[in-house]
Amino acid sequence: MIFTPLNIILFGVVGLLGVGLYGLLITRNLIKVVMVLQILIKAVILALVLAGKLSGHLGLGQSTAATVIVADTIVAVVGLALAVQVRRRFGTLDVPRISTLRG
Amino acid sequence: MAGIIVALVIVLPWAGALAVWLARNKHARLQHALAVLFSVLTAIVSLVLFLFADTEPAIRIPLGKAFGDLTFVPDGLAVLLTAIAAVIGSLAVIFSVDYMHGDAQLGRYYFLVLFFIGAMTGLVLSGNLLFTFFFWEITALCSYGLISFYNDDPKAVAGGIKALIITQVGGVGLLAGTLIAFANLGSFQIADLLAKASALPAMALAWIAFSFLVAAAAKSAQFPFHTWLPDAMEAPTPVSALIHAATMVNAGIYLLARFYPAFEAVPGWRMSVLLVGLVSALIAAVSALIATDLKRALAYSTVSQLGYMVYAIGAEGVFASQFHLLSHAVFKALLFLAAGAVIHSVGTRDMRRMGALGRQMPFVRNVFIVGALALAGIPILNGFWSKELILEIGLEHSPLWAYALMLTGAGLTAFYTLRMVWLVFFGEEREPLHAHAAGLAMKVSLGILAAGTFITWLFFGGLNGLLASTLPIHELERETLLEVLTAILSAPATWFALLIVALGCGLFWLLGRKSALAQGGWLDPFVETSFGFESLNRWIVQVTYQVAERFSVTQTGELNWNILGIVSALLVVLVVLWLGA
Amino acid sequence: MESIQYAVFLLGAVFCAYRAIVAKRILSATIYLACISALVSGTLYLLGAAQVAVMELSVGAGLVTILLVYALSVVGDDAMDPASVIPKPLAFGVVGLAAVLLGWMAFPAVRTTAAVGEFDLASSLWQDRVLDVWIQIVLIFSGVMGVLGLLSEKVPGAKEEVEQ
Repeated sequence: MIFTPLNIILFGVVGLLGVGLYGLLITRNLIKVVMVLQILIKAVILALVLAGKLSGHLGLGQSTAATVIVADTIVAVVGLALAVQVRRRFGTLDVPRISTLRG
Repeated sequence: MAGIIVALVIVLPWAGALAVWLARNKHARLQHALAVLFSVLTAIVSLVLFLFADTEPAIRIPLGKAFGDLTFVPDGLAVLLTAIAAVIGSLAVIFSVDYMHGDAQLGRYYFLVLFFIGAMTGLVLSGNLLFTFFFWEITALCSYGLISFYNDDPKAVAGGIKALIITQVGGVGLLAGTLIAFANLGSFQIADLLAKASALPAMALAWIAFSFLVAAAAKSAQFPFHTWLPDAMEAPTPVSALIHAATMVNAGIYLLARFYPAFEAVPGWRMSVLLVGLVSALIAAVSALIATDLKRALAYSTVSQLGYMVYAIGAEGVFASQFHLLSHAVFKALLFLAAGAVIHSVGTRDMRRMGALGRQMPFVRNVFIVGALALAGIPILNGFWSKELILEIGLEHSPLWAYALMLTGAGLTAFYTLRMVWLVFFGEEREPLHAHAAGLAMKVSLGILAAGTFITWLFFGGLNGLLASTLPIHELERETLLEVLTAILSAPATWFALLIVALGCGLFWLLGRKSALAQGGWLDPFVETSFGFESLNRWIVQVTYQVAERFSVTQTGELNWNILGIVSALLVVLVVLWLGA
Repeated sequence: MESIQYAVFLLGAVFCAYRAIVAKRILSATIYLACISALVSGTLYLLGAAQVAVMELSVGAGLVTILLVYALSVVGDDAMDPASVIPKPLAFGVVGLAAVLLGWMAFPAVRTTAAVGEFDLASSLWQDRVLDVWIQIVLIFSGVMGVLGLLSEKVPGAKEEVEQ
């Protein structure tokens, strides 16, 4: 069968991306949005390392993946800080309701 | 050591910007003091930098193979423009202490001004095209912020947006040229581009050359992008001085001068540069003849003088253009700040309402006349020497008709300059405007600039030697001050040019005085539409607006729907790829 | 054999991701997220990217989980699950189609592994992509500011309103 380990990883990446995007489409909770972004980022990290492996530049793939990890952690931190402040100020985490609020 | 100085001259104004911002608007005096302190420090450091001028980068920060090194090269050209930006900038800041007195939101004002100065020094010192672009865009942003500083005035906002969009055309040109250069050279270093220009494919080099010309024309308000500068007049006057003399518009001239050796061989490039300068110089001079807004008239004269510089570069006179840039920076800053003192005092910019103000503000009148004479090209002020130098080079290296037209421009310059002086300071009083004398800070900066107008031409020999020795690729001719003075004074062309200038003055004295207030008659429609190019500029602005508005429909502000849009776009791309492959 | 290991890890990760999305309580979603992180980290380790695997495990499964739990303890776990704005079949259809196409098209590309100039992580990061390191430093600073925002008790905007 043609399912090499790398093919399986590709399917894993696509699966995680798909589930993550689906989550972003249906989620209304701000904290959950941050979590879904984390899932998407996992897929991206995996894809970067996979691409590094495929092209033979595993170190390069790893270094970009490391940058992505740092960036995505910061996104999580800032996103959560935002969520906490939004919750304190508006009393809700429902994204559609927040975006119609003015203030 | 040189590295520290170079770093200081960029970081100091930015640190000052931060300090002023942190001082909060409640402490206005502290903000004034901090802004003056940091800008004057920057000016001093920029003058010290002359001692460290060098061809090699003073700072080299490796950013890895993918981006190249971030270098800062304090060569003669960069050092000269740094000094202009920092010194004129600091004088504008000192002037602002009086001009902006009692204004709310000083923090925003000084932050943008200092940020602007730092970005300009970074722009000219950067040896990496990518970072030149980075600083270039910061100057565009700051100019937008400052032109629209009075953001409750719709005209100010419109002027700012126009400046931003039109100079973005230039930004796109610079970026395109940079990327083409990178694609062919694999390096963002300016030195590499200059050294290997002849080895590039002719087509690629031509694209880079003309992209950079578009960038320079948009930034320096040259034909056909010359309409944003007169519309930028809603800014506080020190900002106008900053934009016209110290920063912003100089960037375009700098770009042309910097890359002149790489592009001079491109067929048609030099001629295009020459024509852009020629057309800008002439139509702006004509527009200035009938402008009734004091600052607008000065703005047209800036476009016109920048046209002279561009023309000089087209006529192989890189040094002459930079020398005129120095003269122009000094006398135009003087004119703008003096105009600012008048406007601040009488509360209007309309020259038709002024008149006979000279008796009430003699100091301002005197310095304004000094600046005006330099602009008109009267010996022995700095504007005379640099303009004669440009005309001399034009006579040698450009077609005779171009030279003749530039001479006509010099006559027009004399005419509109005298008209400005006459309308503002002399003649009869048309409206009982109450003028009060200028404050101390205003007088200090005006005095320094007026003194500079008398003496900056003395630096010719030193600057020429500095640029010639630190810009080996430009192959500049070495001349001492004495040689140039004798050359200028002994050339018949000089006397001819002076005759034309005198003719301009005489014509005004005989004919213009009475009709100075009259409408331009048949000229009016041309000037109002900037000879038809207002529509081009307006079109660019409108298209940008329309595209933005069309796209704003897609901004639902609802996360889920936005994501659906993204995923659908992804789907479309995938389908296209699938079908295409 | 290796394929089975990968398959188990990644199927687990995708399953966890699905559970995390449909979970009613955010706390349980957090735990599923940590599981995804651990499984992805294992996959990375098997791929030979050991350093990134360690980073992923410590940051993804450790730090982010702690942050999430802390944020939940501040705002409370509402078990809020209003109906989604977008019809679920539409969302599922669009995403599913995109995923299938992506997998289908990328499939042929993933066949051979090239083995050219092997850099290790350290030299790649410090020589090739130094700008990345600088950007990471800036990012970490902004992250610190974010944590301050997370911890600050007062809402910055609310204070000004009181003064007015």
